[in-house]
Amino acid sequence: MEEKREKYTKYEKARIIGARALQIAAGAPVLIKTDEIDPIEIAIEEFEKGVIPITVKRDK
Amino acid sequence: MQRALTAEDKEEVVKELIRAGIEEEIAEQIKGEFIPAELTIELDELLEMQIEEAYARDILMVQGRREEGEVKLGDIELKVNKSKLPELIKGELRKKLRAVRDKLSRRKLDEILKKVEEKYEKAKVEPREAVGIVAAQSIGEPGTQMTLRTFHYAGVGAIYITLGLPRIIEIVDARKKPSTPAMKIKLAGEYASDRNKAEELTMEIEETYIRDIGKVEASTEDMSVWVSLKERELKRRHIGREEVEEKLKGLGAGVLVEATEDGKLRIQVQNKFYHELLRLEEKVSSTLVKGIEGIKRAIVRRDVDGEYMLYTEGSALKKVMRIEGIDFSRTTTNNIAEIADVLGIEAARNAIIEEMMGTLEEQGLDVDPRHVMLIADAMTMDGEVKQIGRHGLAGGKASVLSRAAFEVTVDNLLEAATHGETDELKGVTENVIVGQPIKLGTGAIELVAR
Repeated sequence: MEEKREKYTKYEKARIIGARALQIAAGAPVLIKTDEIDPIEIAIEEFEKGVIPITVKRDK
Repeated sequence: MQRALTAEDKEEVVKELIRAGIEEEIAEQIKGEFIPAELTIELDELLEMQIEEAYARDILMVQGRREEGEVKLGDIELKVNKSKLPELIKGELRKKLRAVRDKLSRRKLDEILKKVEEKYEKAKVEPREAVGIVAAQSIGEPGTQMTLRTFHYAGVGAIYITLGLPRIIEIVDARKKPSTPAMKIKLAGEYASDRNKAEELTMEIEETYIRDIGKVEASTEDMSVWVSLKERELKRRHIGREEVEEKLKGLGAGVLVEATEDGKLRIQVQNKFYHELLRLEEKVSSTLVKGIEGIKRAIVRRDVDGEYMLYTEGSALKKVMRIEGIDFSRTTTNNIAEIADVLGIEAARNAIIEEMMGTLEEQGLDVDPRHVMLIADAMTMDGEVKQIGRHGLAGGKASVLSRAAFEVTVDNLLEAATHGETDELKGVTENVIVGQPIKLGTGAIELVAR
């Protein structure tokens, strides 16, 4: 997953991690190997690795 | 990055230098002093930089030098110019770096620049940040620490200027006239260096009425107004008797003025009515003989650069503009409406920022200028100076709910209802009221699946 990652603002980052954590908490398959059990921590790790299948819609 | 400097390159640099306003002779001389090695930065980049004239030469001198040894002026110029900072910060940084040049090494210089760039990046706001609220809080909190007293000693002679919270309120309310109008007038040429000349100007602009230079009496005996001028005042203010007579004759058609041998002036009333006499007396005593209407007092002070300048009580920007000996481009008033009128809206925006920052600083409060700039922008963005409150910014909002939430709720709702207004629910306030997420911060972000 070494594609060129977009630069997110802190608000975008928070929103993406939040949405992903909700998915994980609801039982979505986790996309990385991790020892974490807290959905938010897992989502953060996924975000840092750039594997979350969510982006933001920009330029309105 | 490194490239040998060819003859064409030199030619081009010299051409660019001439274009930048450097004399041809000097430019040619610089060409001769090029170090024949290589360019440490690309030529295009060099040509694009805004190099201060005095340092153009230094830049060329450090070209091709190895990365060691003492820091030259050219190094500072070059490295600061290469950094990703805005011009204003670059300028300030250059000045500061030049002052400590002998204590710098090139490594330290790089380090400093890196730190400054880092700090600058950190100070930027991210998109969707609630800057308005942050600005409001950042001015509101220091506001609680400000004095509530209306008048404050301004530190210049005996001129009093409204400061502290009352002044901030005045600015934000966009009053037509401040409670204490005042000007700072800079002088040009020898007026700035000669105290006597500056004092003369004081007399030139201070408003002088007949009542200031003499006694005005109405006599029922001969139904005329008598003016006895005070010799001392006339001399001090450089006013001739004829001048006064001239002014009085200009009062109106049929006004009879005659000078008696004891130095008094007699002005006759046309109709021999008592109230006519009183009216004439009032008219005579408030006739402007000299100076600018509105400038109640002017005093000479020396500024930090040792230049003489004038501080005035009262303000009349337009008229002061025409006085000889004044450097108008550096003359200001604290009357923002007047600035908007005479110099335009951008100048008014600047004046709002200067005045607010000035009052805050005077109270020892350190507020980031960007908050104040945002307020000034909001007040002036429509081309006229608008106040913040219900007759300006808040009252002009498109949303009914937003207006109703601010002040006079019922009036606003009633007015909107009678006109059948619609609320588009686009702003922040409206959405808070109806309980929806607001378009700010995380609330403004739309997610899409990748």
